[in-house]
Order: sequence, then structure tokens, then C-alpha cells
Amino acid sequence: MRGFGELEQAIMDVVWTSGEPVTVRAVLDQLNGDRPQPLAYNTVHTVTEILHRKGWLSRAKDGRAYRYTSTKSREEYAASLIDQVWESGADRTATLVRLFDEMDADEVAELRAALAARADGGR
Amino acid sequence: MTVALLLLGYSAVLGGLGPLWLKRASWLDRAPRLGIWAWHALTATVIISVTLAGLAVAVPTVPVSGNLAAMLQECVMALRAQYAAPGGAAVAASGTVLAFALVARIGWCLAAALVRARRQRSEHAAVLDLAGRHRPDLGVTVLDHDRPAAYCLPGHGHRVVLTTAALTTLEPRALDAVIAHERAHIRQRHHLVLAYAEALERAFPRVPLFRTAASETRRLVELAADDEATARSDALTLASALVEMAGAGVPAASLAASGGHAAGRVRRLLAPQRPLKRAIAWGGALVAGAVLVLPLVVAVEPAVAASGMNACPLPTAPPVAAPQPAY
Repeated sequence: MRGFGELEQAIMDVVWTSGEPVTVRAVLDQLNGDRPQPLAYNTVHTVTEILHRKGWLSRAKDGRAYRYTSTKSREEYAASLIDQVWESGADRTATLVRLFDEMDADEVAELRAALAARADGGR
Repeated sequence: MTVALLLLGYSAVLGGLGPLWLKRASWLDRAPRLGIWAWHALTATVIISVTLAGLAVAVPTVPVSGNLAAMLQECVMALRAQYAAPGGAAVAASGTVLAFALVARIGWCLAAALVRARRQRSEHAAVLDLAGRHRPDLGVTVLDHDRPAAYCLPGHGHRVVLTTAALTTLEPRALDAVIAHERAHIRQRHHLVLAYAEALERAFPRVPLFRTAASETRRLVELAADDEATARSDALTLASALVEMAGAGVPAASLAASGGHAAGRVRRLLAPQRPLKRAIAWGGALVAGAVLVLPLVVAVEPAVAASGMNACPLPTAPPVAAPQPAY
């Protein structure tokens, strides 16, 4: 199953970087470009279909084959994850421990000054 | 009955005065891990005391004796006497209900919190696997995002996550400090510490002790992780990393939601480091442990004491016959 995860990742990478709807054949060629052991068409096809079923890819018929596009960009997924982390206030700290809280502008200015003073004093 | 009152009094005093005193004890900031232990010992003591008080009402004291038959008889007599007394049964029943309700409520909240956290983490990780990029040189996952941020996904399959903005904002040493801070959260299993504190808060939101304990725990785990991170790098590096990341354009709306400990943490890192002496920290931990054990001693002590005095009914009791072999 772990191997599938890596292949899912690789396929999404190809789809995201290509920027336009791609066929399984195109994904396969891209993936096999720098691979000592080429992947089988069926493997890539299966995993692409899994990604479609999971909602990561959408597909549209083009001639006899399907062309796949990502439903959301990589940045959109990243943004949704970061939003989740930010929302996790008192209620969800146990899920994700984030590094820092927010500070207001005055505090940032004050602490920057204090840091600068310490950095100068330390030399 | 005396035991129950004693235990209730103990939990009332500790639950009332304990948080006031611990919150004021600024030396806890110099040993945050001791602080976490002290708060947890305090909440656990109060829960254990109240539970034992409920049980002590329900179960009369019976001398502990080596003779099982005699002890059982004593038990039955004592129970009969108690339940024959007017209102005895009602008191005993309410004590039992109190004890079980307390334990069940806390157990339920804790289990629900752990299950929910686990599900949310695995959902988060599934998206992270595809949308994030692994950076083996740093041992972190990187997300494409224009807000500098760092967090960790604790528990099974744990990992540290940074945004691309954090990578560009922070200089290498600051980056190391930030990653060390997140690793400390993972290694010290802060998600479990927080899950416990927050489950208590959710189980009894009206009890000030649990509210204060949860918010102090949230603050102290950050300090504990800061301490572990600064053990490798210097405090100034971590302090400036915190300021850089917090100062980089965060929506003001989310300010109220979080506790806002960051400024306090930076001030603490800037101040001269005065970690508590090892011996004092251990002493504190022992005191907290004693506070935790005391209600158990109080609950068991009468039975033990009674067995000392009350061996008279059967002073010449014949030794228990050795069991005959079955064949």
C-alpha cells in the first residue's frame, strides 16, 4: 500500500506540473522518463483511477481515452491544510501542535527592538 | 463516612487553592515539564479523591484480615448495619452513582477526544502526503504557502510541516531551532498531554480547576518544547524565529482564538536563562506525586488500622486448613 501512496504522489506531481488535461499514456511516459524499471501501463491506469475516485482528479472523455485534470491546485490543498491548523484553537490542539501564536503589530515591534538590543549587547 | 468527608475536603481544598497557587508559581516556567506534571497530578488527585469519597460512602470500612471467612462476615454485618440505618441506602447509592458517573464521564470524553484526534490527523496526513513535498535533507514536509508557518502532526506517522514561506523567511540556524521545537513536541508526546487536559476541560467545563489546567498545559508544553530546542541552539535564535514568523502578516481575526502565548515566550527566551536546579525539580515532582498518592492512603488507611486493632474476635482462630489435593 505504501508503494501505491508514492505512485499517487508521483502522478499528482505530473498532473500538477503539466497544467493541462493529460492522458494516462502521457503520465506514464513522464514517469518512465527517469526510472530504471519502467512502470506498467495498467498500474498507472489503476492508480490514476483511484485518484479520480478519491476526488483528486477529474476526467473528461477525449476520443477513446480519458484526459485527467486535478480538481484543485497544490496550493489550494496546502492552503486548506494551513487553514485547518490555524482554526485548531483550543478545541483541536491535540490534533496538531502548531509552533506559534499570533502577535499584534505593537508586540512584534517591541520584541524586534528587544532582540536587536540583545544582539548588539551580545557582541 | 469520616473518610468520605476527609477526601471531599481534600479535593475541595486542592481544587480550590491548588490552581491559584500553581498559576502564581512563576518558578514553574523555569521547569515547564515539572509544571505539566504538577498540573496533571493536581487534576488527577481531585478526580481520584472525589471518586474514592463516593466509594467510601458506599462501602463501610471493614478490617482487613487474613481470615477470608471472618472478613466476609464482617463485611456483610457492616453493610447490613449501614443499609439498615435510616437513609443509609440512599447515601450509599448516591455515593456509588457519583463515583461511577465521574469516572464514566471522564473516560468517555477522553476516549472520544483521542478517537477524534486520530481521525483528524489521518485525514490531514492523507492530503499532506499528496500536496506536500518531502525534504529528506531537513526531514520535514513542505507545503506551498505564502504564510510562514510550522506545525507538527504528532502520533503515529508523525512529521514536521513547514511552509515554503517559512523556508525563505528563516535563516538556516533559525530553521533548525524551529524544527527542533516541533520535534520536541513529538518526542515529549504533547498531544497526549493536551488530549488529557482538554478532555477534562470538556467533561466539566464549569470547573475552574480544569479550565485553568488546560490553558496552563497549553502554555507549558510550548515552554517545554522551547527549552528542548534551545538546548541545541541558542535562545536568541529561537526568539527571533518566533518573532519573524509571528510578525509576517497574520490575520488579526484569529488572534482572539488562540491563547496568545508567543510574546510571553519570546520575552522568556530573551531573559537570562535560569533553569530550576535539578534537585529542586525532582523534589517538586516528588511532592506532586505525594499529593497524588495521599487520597489513596486516606481511603485505605482505616481498613488497615482497623485490622490492627480488631484482630480480637477470633484470636485463636485455627489456621486455615491446607487445601486437600484433588486426587
